[in-house]
Amino acid sequence: MAVLTIKNLAKTFNVGTPRASRVLDDISFDVRGGTFVSIVGPSGCGKSTLLNIISGVEEHTSGDISLTSDSGGPARMGYVFQDPRLLPWRSVMKNMMYVQNDRSEATVGRCRKYLEMVGLTKNADFFPGQLSGGMQQRVGIARAFAVEPDLLLMDEPFSHLDAITARGLRAQLQDIWAQSKKTVVFVTHDVVEAVELSDRIIVLQPGGRIFEDITIDLPRPRRQTDPTVATLQAEVLGRLETMKAMARTPEAVA
Amino acid sequence: MTDQLVRTAPPTDPEAGAKRTAKRRRLRLTGLVILGWVAMFALWEYGSWWFGSRLLPRPLEVFQAGVEIVESGNFVTDFSASVLKTFAGFAVAAAVGAPIGYLMGRYNYWRAFFHDGVTIAGTIPAIVYAVMSLIAFGLSNLGPILAVALVSAPYIALNVAEGIRGVDKSLVTMSEAFGRTPQQIRREVLVPTIVPFVFAAIRMCFAVAWKVEALTEVFGGRNGVGFQIRTEYQLYDIAAVLAWMFLFIVFMLIIERLVLAKSEARLLAWRPQERSSAL
Repeated sequence: MAVLTIKNLAKTFNVGTPRASRVLDDISFDVRGGTFVSIVGPSGCGKSTLLNIISGVEEHTSGDISLTSDSGGPARMGYVFQDPRLLPWRSVMKNMMYVQNDRSEATVGRCRKYLEMVGLTKNADFFPGQLSGGMQQRVGIARAFAVEPDLLLMDEPFSHLDAITARGLRAQLQDIWAQSKKTVVFVTHDVVEAVELSDRIIVLQPGGRIFEDITIDLPRPRRQTDPTVATLQAEVLGRLETMKAMARTPEAVA
Repeated sequence: MTDQLVRTAPPTDPEAGAKRTAKRRRLRLTGLVILGWVAMFALWEYGSWWFGSRLLPRPLEVFQAGVEIVESGNFVTDFSASVLKTFAGFAVAAAVGAPIGYLMGRYNYWRAFFHDGVTIAGTIPAIVYAVMSLIAFGLSNLGPILAVALVSAPYIALNVAEGIRGVDKSLVTMSEAFGRTPQQIRREVLVPTIVPFVFAAIRMCFAVAWKVEALTEVFGGRNGVGFQIRTEYQLYDIAAVLAWMFLFIVFMLIIERLVLAKSEARLLAWRPQERSSAL
């Protein structure tokens, strides 16, 4: 069953002014429950805007978005940002609890479980300022999973980290996702990362339209060093190069 | 054959090393504080000898006058009167200044409305407020309370406004993305952000509020520290004037060191500078 359905979505900034600019145009796709979908594309193609619209932080100009919850109640969303966005005055555990809807034993236990999964049980009482950037981002990931979201949105969560830390966190994310099987929409400009993590890649082109919807049918867990992963990464990169070439000749895209 | 330079780090326990460094730092700071006091009293003693103890009484005379004030019972009565008036004035200032500061920090329209008025109110000399309050309320206790409130409110408003304007928008977006309510965002994001600014306002205000309160009592009080200073001045008892002033300073230091500094360290324990000073 589709958790997220988007139909003919468009977003224009500064509507009705001379500075009006359309960043998303006629976006339609759906995301089935338990899948990991990546949205890739060059800078400025509207990836993060699309995520903000899905989360409700930003309004869309036209089109429909529907979110379905397994529980029948209102759908819950988790969000992992580019930067950790932790409250500096609250401990790690209190940051986890801040986004929860209740303070029950079960909720506290769930927060502890996800902290353990990212290897930060011993740091539960630390303030964010006492942790490294990578550790803070791990708290951000644990926080998002701990709300037991129907849909988990991730906006380039590893882009601010060094290569080695990012690699470790990608492996950790794959493990957590394999255990939780949450529905994930993951924005990245890194095709290699998208192939390693996703079941499906939606490629956005400049102007905010969908260029291609690619299914990644590879066994998990995946590692970048795996030859089949590397081959597919090269193939997807080739398609992106084609898209860029077409974008340079506007009539071809139209 | 070439010489090889090999440097091996001495075996140390990093935690014990950090504690030793912190202890040395604390001892050095305490030593400097004591040295500062000794230098001040030495200078005072010299000044008394130079000007004569009638004009500038010796530290020991002032100490004895202070003991007499405390033993006479006036200390408790007048001090509590001054403290109550200051706190009451400060409470009025907080009740008026904080909401104005919130509006100024949160909405540009309200900022435009209040900004010039609050800035002007903050630049008016404290003595003007003292005189105006006495004209309005005569010799009653309301005069000093109003003077303290008028002096403190602009400081509180401006600091709270700055705090609100400094709120990290990305934390607000994060909270909204996780479905937090506006009340939760106010409590967990806005309020902790303005706490350091509120402390700055309290420190600044108390320093000024005490002076204004005492000044108003000097001009037209029927009780309080300022009233006692005026009485002793009329009797030309400089030792008693200075003794009242020193009792005042001691009280201020107690408020600063035991109340403000402790609560600041507790509430702002998350800041790296607070953690390092707690070592």
